[in-house]
Amino acid sequence: MTATWFSAPAPVIRRLRAYFAPVNRIAQAPAVFDPSEQAGFNLDSPPPPWISLGWIQDFVRKPASKSGALMTGIPAAPLEQIRETLQAQLSLQFLTWTKLTMALATGSQHMNVLAPASGASPAADGAQAAPALTPQNGSSNTLILLASSDAAKFSPGSMIAVDADYAGQTGFVGAPVAGAYVRQAVSDVDYIRRVTFNVGLVSQVNATGLTLAEPLPGGAPAADAKLQPVVGFVDREGGSFYQEWSALFVMQGSQGERIFFHYPRLQPMTGGEEAVIPLNAKNQSGASRVLLKAQFLALSVTDPLDGERVVCYRSFLPAANALV
Amino acid sequence: MQNAKDSFYMMLRTRLASLNPERTILLRGALRPGILVEEAEAPFSQFPNDVFVLRWLGMAADRDLASTMVAEQCEVVYQTCGTQSFGGLDRGRALSEMDEELLGILQPFYALKLNYTATPPAAMMTHVFWDDPVFAPVVIQRDRLSRSVVVVVYSYEEQGE
Repeated sequence: MTATWFSAPAPVIRRLRAYFAPVNRIAQAPAVFDPSEQAGFNLDSPPPPWISLGWIQDFVRKPASKSGALMTGIPAAPLEQIRETLQAQLSLQFLTWTKLTMALATGSQHMNVLAPASGASPAADGAQAAPALTPQNGSSNTLILLASSDAAKFSPGSMIAVDADYAGQTGFVGAPVAGAYVRQAVSDVDYIRRVTFNVGLVSQVNATGLTLAEPLPGGAPAADAKLQPVVGFVDREGGSFYQEWSALFVMQGSQGERIFFHYPRLQPMTGGEEAVIPLNAKNQSGASRVLLKAQFLALSVTDPLDGERVVCYRSFLPAANALV
Repeated sequence: MQNAKDSFYMMLRTRLASLNPERTILLRGALRPGILVEEAEAPFSQFPNDVFVLRWLGMAADRDLASTMVAEQCEVVYQTCGTQSFGGLDRGRALSEMDEELLGILQPFYALKLNYTATPPAAMMTHVFWDDPVFAPVVIQRDRLSRSVVVVVYSYEEQGE
């Protein structure tokens, strides 16, 4: 068998796609992207645990590592180079507002605004929440079984948060993603459901429970999980918690080639910020689109291959038949 | 270049036949998907209604690359008077339907380049790709609504082209 080939010019791309996956904060284990096994994945259906965050824009990578010269002789001349610091930053704009994009574009906890209890006092993070409900046995990641009286409290289009009661523990809380780090015990029994990423949209309601539009990120509700209705989301400027996620950015070239940027550990490095872009460039005071701006600091991992410390992997999958 | 033009047209034609099989044209005795290339048909005194007509206009080439990149400007023209059953009062809806169909068949924004001088067509090594379409305002002539859309189609020249 023989193959013909062509000389491929620099890739031409239209847009850039972003995928994020939670870092296991307790085990300090980032998500892995393996270009040998996963590079050909369907961009609309990423391999677990990667979650598609859609298209992004204004993606800028800024390597901030510094090298220094080891000087020797008279007059001094560089003999070797040494890497003095290892650092990288990146910034981007999300084209959607979701629980996850909003959380990634803020520098601290990202909270669910739980539906309030009747007559509760106002609070900046949302008032005391309505009592949590207990899913019944047999619930799955897309079907929450409830008593009929509980199911009647929801309607299609409702949002829910599913997680355990807060029981006075400290450390990372929230499943499957650590939504906060509790330094001192808090008094809110709903605290974990306030910070959990295990949220979903109700697409259908019947007497036996709720059907969700998308699977819960945490899978089927755990035995101790409860659920509460969510009316929105809130984050704060300030606080001491940093989100940490693994990130994968994909550039799809016109000839089928792909460029991957895999950051095993990313933490937001700024507070919430938005970019307001007029829909019509000729009418700056007209309707505008509000985009979430995010800026990240890449943290290092040790590559088990050779023990080197790195912050990012860049992979290239050439086009078929392109000379390499 | 001709392979790129042929591949672009045939991809749009295939996608149109799948998206709306009812949009057809009877041309030279054959019922075909409702899309044609102006330069490959006998001259028209008047474009047919409810059909996409492709016209190849400008061209540019960038030879300072590993493979020469060619950019060809394709104008897609279409017009409608609506349907007789509604007395033409649905001409706006008919044009909107064609707008949506064109957006639909242009995605995804690439197609494998094929050599249609061979039978069956031979797959080449590169892809044809194109940019976002630029829609011109509707032109109104009595009861006829027409629109012109420009798409720039890119391709790399391969050996033997």
